[in-house]
Amino acid sequence: MNQSRVIFHIDMNSFYASVEMARHPELRGKPLAIAGKVEDRRGIVVTSSYEARAHGVKTTMQVWEARRKCPQLIVKTPDFDLYRKVSRQLFDLLRTYTEKVEKVSVDEGYMDVTALASRHHPVKLAQEIQQQVFHHLQLPSSIGIAPNKFMAKMASDMKKPMGITILRKREMNQTLWPLPVDEMHGVGQKTAEKLKKIGLQTIGDIAHYPKPAFIEQFGKYGEKLHDRANGIDEREVDPQSEHEFKSISQSITLPKDLTEEEEVQPVLRRLAARLERKLKEKKSMSYQLSLSIRYNNWRNVTRVQSVQQPLQTEEEIYQRAIAIFYQHWNGQPIRLLGITVQSLEPMNKATKQLDLFTYEKDAQKEPLYDTLYSLEKKFGPSAIHLGWKEDPRDQK
Amino acid sequence: MEDFIHSESVDSDLQLKVTISREKLVENVNHVIKAVSSRTTIPILTGIKFVASKEGIELTGSDSDVSIQSFIPLEENGIENATVDIPGQIVLQARFFSDIVKKLPGDQVDLEVDSRLMTRITSGSSEFNLNGQDAEEYPHLPSIREENSFNIRTDVLKHVIKQTVFAVSTSETRPVLTGVNWNIQNGKLSCVSTDSHRLAMRTISIETEDNLEKSNVIIPGKSLSDLAKILDDSGSDWVQIIITDNQILFKSNHLQFYSRLLEGNYPNTQGLIPQESKTEVILSTKSFLQAIDRASLLAREERNNVVKLKTLNDNTIEILSQSTEIGRVFENVSTKSIEGEEIRISFSAKYMMDALSKIDATEIKINFTGAMRPFLIRPVDEQDILMLILPVRTN
Amino acid sequence: MNWRDVQSKQHKVAKILTNALKNGRLVHAYLFIGDRGTGKKEVAYQFARSYFCPHSDGIEPCGQCSECKRILSGNHPDLMVLKPDGRTIKKEQVANLIKEFTYRGVESDKKFFIIEQADLLTPQAANSLLKFIEEPQSQTVAVLLAENRYQLLETIISRCQLIQFTPLSQSDVESHLTNQGISKNIARLASALTQDVQEAKALCEEEWFANAIASVIHFMEDIYIRSNHAIITLYEEFSLQFNDTVKLQTGLDLIIIWMRDLLNLHLDKLDEIVYIDQMEKLKQQLLNVSIDSVVLGLSLVLEAKRRLDFNSHPLGVMEQLALRLQEGAGSYV
Repeated sequence: MNQSRVIFHIDMNSFYASVEMARHPELRGKPLAIAGKVEDRRGIVVTSSYEARAHGVKTTMQVWEARRKCPQLIVKTPDFDLYRKVSRQLFDLLRTYTEKVEKVSVDEGYMDVTALASRHHPVKLAQEIQQQVFHHLQLPSSIGIAPNKFMAKMASDMKKPMGITILRKREMNQTLWPLPVDEMHGVGQKTAEKLKKIGLQTIGDIAHYPKPAFIEQFGKYGEKLHDRANGIDEREVDPQSEHEFKSISQSITLPKDLTEEEEVQPVLRRLAARLERKLKEKKSMSYQLSLSIRYNNWRNVTRVQSVQQPLQTEEEIYQRAIAIFYQHWNGQPIRLLGITVQSLEPMNKATKQLDLFTYEKDAQKEPLYDTLYSLEKKFGPSAIHLGWKEDPRDQK
Repeated sequence: MEDFIHSESVDSDLQLKVTISREKLVENVNHVIKAVSSRTTIPILTGIKFVASKEGIELTGSDSDVSIQSFIPLEENGIENATVDIPGQIVLQARFFSDIVKKLPGDQVDLEVDSRLMTRITSGSSEFNLNGQDAEEYPHLPSIREENSFNIRTDVLKHVIKQTVFAVSTSETRPVLTGVNWNIQNGKLSCVSTDSHRLAMRTISIETEDNLEKSNVIIPGKSLSDLAKILDDSGSDWVQIIITDNQILFKSNHLQFYSRLLEGNYPNTQGLIPQESKTEVILSTKSFLQAIDRASLLAREERNNVVKLKTLNDNTIEILSQSTEIGRVFENVSTKSIEGEEIRISFSAKYMMDALSKIDATEIKINFTGAMRPFLIRPVDEQDILMLILPVRTN
Repeated sequence: MNWRDVQSKQHKVAKILTNALKNGRLVHAYLFIGDRGTGKKEVAYQFARSYFCPHSDGIEPCGQCSECKRILSGNHPDLMVLKPDGRTIKKEQVANLIKEFTYRGVESDKKFFIIEQADLLTPQAANSLLKFIEEPQSQTVAVLLAENRYQLLETIISRCQLIQFTPLSQSDVESHLTNQGISKNIARLASALTQDVQEAKALCEEEWFANAIASVIHFMEDIYIRSNHAIITLYEEFSLQFNDTVKLQTGLDLIIIWMRDLLNLHLDKLDEIVYIDQMEKLKQQLLNVSIDSVVLGLSLVLEAKRRLDFNSHPLGVMEQLALRLQEGAGSYV
C-alpha cells in the first residue's frame, strides 16, 4: 500500500425519508417521519427528514412524542422492499464509475476511485456522482473523500446533506483531531466512557497517547482505534464483502454406484462433517442447503431447501441432507453425491430458535456462555467477541 | 317435467313432505353450509342432509373433517317452525339449495320428495325442482352417548381455544403437533399445544357426572378455530362435549359441531416443563407487552424476531433489539421484583407477544432456568394457565 | 362382483386375499401389479368392501348394506382413492391423501386407501407416502395399483405385499368381441391394443377407431411405398385424425402392430398377423423395405411414444418420426 489511494464514502442522507419523498413528490420539503405502526401512537420513529429533525424529531422517539415536537409531522410506515430496490439502483449507478464499490448497508458504501483520480479531480468526480444520484434517484447524499476508508467515513459525516468533504492527512490536526471521541467511527458509548475516564477527550488525544499503553488497555481493537486516530487504515474497498462466502460445496464421486440407503448415509455424513469444518473456519452458519444427486445415467438432480434455523454442525447438516435425499431419490444407482451450504451469515449474527424437544443439546454449552459473560464483564465488551457484543456502527 | 307431473298425481309416492318457516330454514342452512367445501372428493358431501322426523328437522353439512348439524324443533317458545306430514330424509345440493331458500318469496316453504328423489320446493308462487341424493349415502356421524359427556361454559370454551390454538404447529412434518391435545382426569380438562418453539397449557375444571378419563384426544387446530366462530352463533351458555374414538362432538343448543381427531400419540409435554426456577421476575403484563411490542418493530426485520432481555440491579429489566439495516432500540422496564440469578436471554418477540396477549392477569411472573432453557410465563397466583417459550440462541 | 368372480379370473389373487381376510391377517400395504384390464381396480374395491362390511362372513361382503353401497358409489368417507387427474397425480392430491393418513377415520378407526396408477407418483410423493405406509397409526390398509413394477421405487415395493395379476390372453379378448358381433379384423386390432375387455369393446364401437386404422394404413404406405408423401399425409390426414396425445398414443400403437406384422410375415408367422385383411399391402411393403429398417423403425416409434409421455409437442414428435422412418426406409430403396 505505498501508492496513495483516493477513497470515497458515500452516505445517503436520511435514506428512507428521502426515498419516500422521491416516490411521493408532494412530501418534499415537509417534516416526514418513518415509523412502525402509524395507527399506534406508541410506534417508534425509525428515521425522519431534515425538516422533521429541525423540529427536534429524533430516531427511536415514540410517535406521540414526535408529534408533540412537530404537530404538522407526516408519519409513514416503512416500505423496506422499496428501500432495498432503490438501494440496488443506487449501487448499480455507482458501479458505472468503478467496479471497486463496497456496499456497507442499504444506504452507504465505499468507492476506490484511485484509478479514476489520474484523469478527474476527485472533487469534480464526487460532484458528478452526487449530481447523477440526485438526478436519477432524487436522493441527496454526502460524500467524504480521503486516502482511506476510516477518514472517508469521518469526512462524509462532516457536511450533510449534499456535502462533499475532503479529509487530508496533513490537515488532520485541524479537522479530525479536535473532534470528541464520541464522534469517532468505531467508538461506542461504553468505549467512549472508558476513554474519557483515562482523560482522552478528543480523537487527537487518542492519536497522541502512547500506542503500547493504549493497546494494553484496549486490546487488539485498541490498536485499530489508535491507528485510525492517526489516519492509518489499510482496509481495502472490497466489492465482494457483501457476497463473501456465498456458498460452500462438497461432493464425492463414488468409487462404485450406490444403490442402498445404508450406503448413502455414511457418505452424506462425511460430506456434512467436512462442511462443518469449513463453516467453522469461516465462522459462518448456513440458512440454505442443497443436495445434488447424479445418477449413473448422468442425470443430475439438485434440490434446495431453506431453513428457519441455521445449520452448522455435522448433525444439523446431515439431518437436513438425508431428509432431502429421502424425498427425492428415485431409487436408481447413484454416482455422485454433493451438499452445498449457502445463504451464509457470520456466526455472531446468526441466531437459532431453540426447540422444545432438542434444546438440551444446545443447553449443554450454556456454562461456556456464562464463563464468557463473566470474562466480558470483567475485561470489557471488546475483550471477547461473543454474547452481548454491540455493533460499533450502530453507536453514535 | 313429465316425471314431476306424474309424481304429483300419485301422492302416496312421496318419501318426505314438510312445511317449514323460510326464515328458520335460511338461518339453519347458513349454519351448516359453513362446513360444506366445494373441493371435496366425496360426491355426497357437496350436499346438505335434510332429515324430517316427528321431533323436528335436522340439517347436516360436512367436509368430512368437520361436520355441523343444526336442529329446528317443530315448535319453539310457542311458535310453530315446521310441520312434518311425511317424515323422511334427502340430500340436496348445498349451493343450489342455499341460494334457492334465500330467494324464495313466501314466509313458508313446502318441501316434497318423491320416490325418484326428485325434490319439489315451493314457496308463494315459486316452484323449484331439484334432484336429490339418497341420504343413506351420507356419512354416519358418531351417535351420542350422553354418559361420556361433560359440560363447559361457552365463553370459557372460547377462551380456552383462544389461549391454546395459537401455539399449534403449522408445519406438517409432525402432524400431531397441528392439534391441541386434550386430557381429562379428576374433573379437570387440560389443553396443551406446542409447535416445539413455544407451548401453551390451560387447565379448567369441568362438570362430569362420573369419573370421566380421556387422554391423547388431539383436536386439529383448524377445527377448533372453526368451532370458536360457530359458538358465536349458538346463543347458548353451555356446551356439551362428547368424545368418541375418532371424533369429538360439541353440542350447543340446537347446533352440533363434530371434528375428526388426529392420529398418533401426542408427545409427553409434562416432562418438558421445567419444575425449578433460577430467576423469577414479576412485572406488569401490560407494560411488558408494550415494551416487547415496541422492540419488535426492529426485531421483525431480522431472522427469528429476536429481542434480548437482561435483568439489571434495581428491579428493572432491559429490553433490547437491533436490526443491521435500521438501528437499535432499548428500553428499561421496571418490575415488581426480580429474584435469583441475573439472566440475559434472547427470544422471539412474536412468541412473547402471542403468549402475553393470551394472559388476562394484570401481573405475571416469568421463571427462567438459563439462557438456553425454556422459560415459563404465568399469572402471579394462578396455576391454570402456563405459557412456555424456548429462547433463541445468539452468538 | 364377488370373490368367486375374482377366483375365476385371478385364481391366485383371490386365494391370497381371501385367506388373509379369513385369518384376519391383513398387512398394511398391498401392491397390485398387472396389465390394464386384469381387474386390479375391481379387486381393490371388492377387498375394501370385505374390509368394511359389517355383515360379511369375514370374506364375502353382503353388497346390500350402506358400507358396501357407498364404497362403490364413491361416498364412503373412510375409503380414500387417489387417481390421476389427467395423466398426472397432482401435488395437492397427494397432500390431501397424506392429510387423510394423519386424521382418524370419519366413522370409525378403520381406513382404506386405494392409490391407482401408483407408477405415476413422483419420487417425492411416493417417499412422503412411504412414512405412512410403513408406520400406519390405526387400522389402515393401503392398496397401490400399478401396471409395471419397474417404474416404482424399490423402497415402495419392499414395503408392500406384492400381488401379481395374471394377464388376460389376447385371444380371450378377441373371441369375446367377435362373439358380440364385432368384425374380426377390428376385434383383432382392439384386442391387440388392450386386454381390458370393456375398453376394447368401447374402442370397437367408436367410429373414430375404424377411421384411425385406415389412416395408419395410409400413413404406412406413404412411409414405405410413396416416401415423399408421408409428411403431407401427416399434416392433412394423420394429425387431424390423431388430434390429442391419448389418440396419438393409440395411433403409434397401431403403427407398432403394423411393423410387428411385417416382421411376422417375414418370419412366416402368419397366425400372429393382426392386420389380417391387409395381407396384400403388407406383402408389397415387405418387398420394398429391409427387415433391419423395420426393426429400426420399431425403436423409433417406441422412442416417439416415450417423448409424448414427457409432454413433447405431438406434431413435432410425429414430424421427426416420419422423417426418420423415411430415412430408414429410403436408404434401402
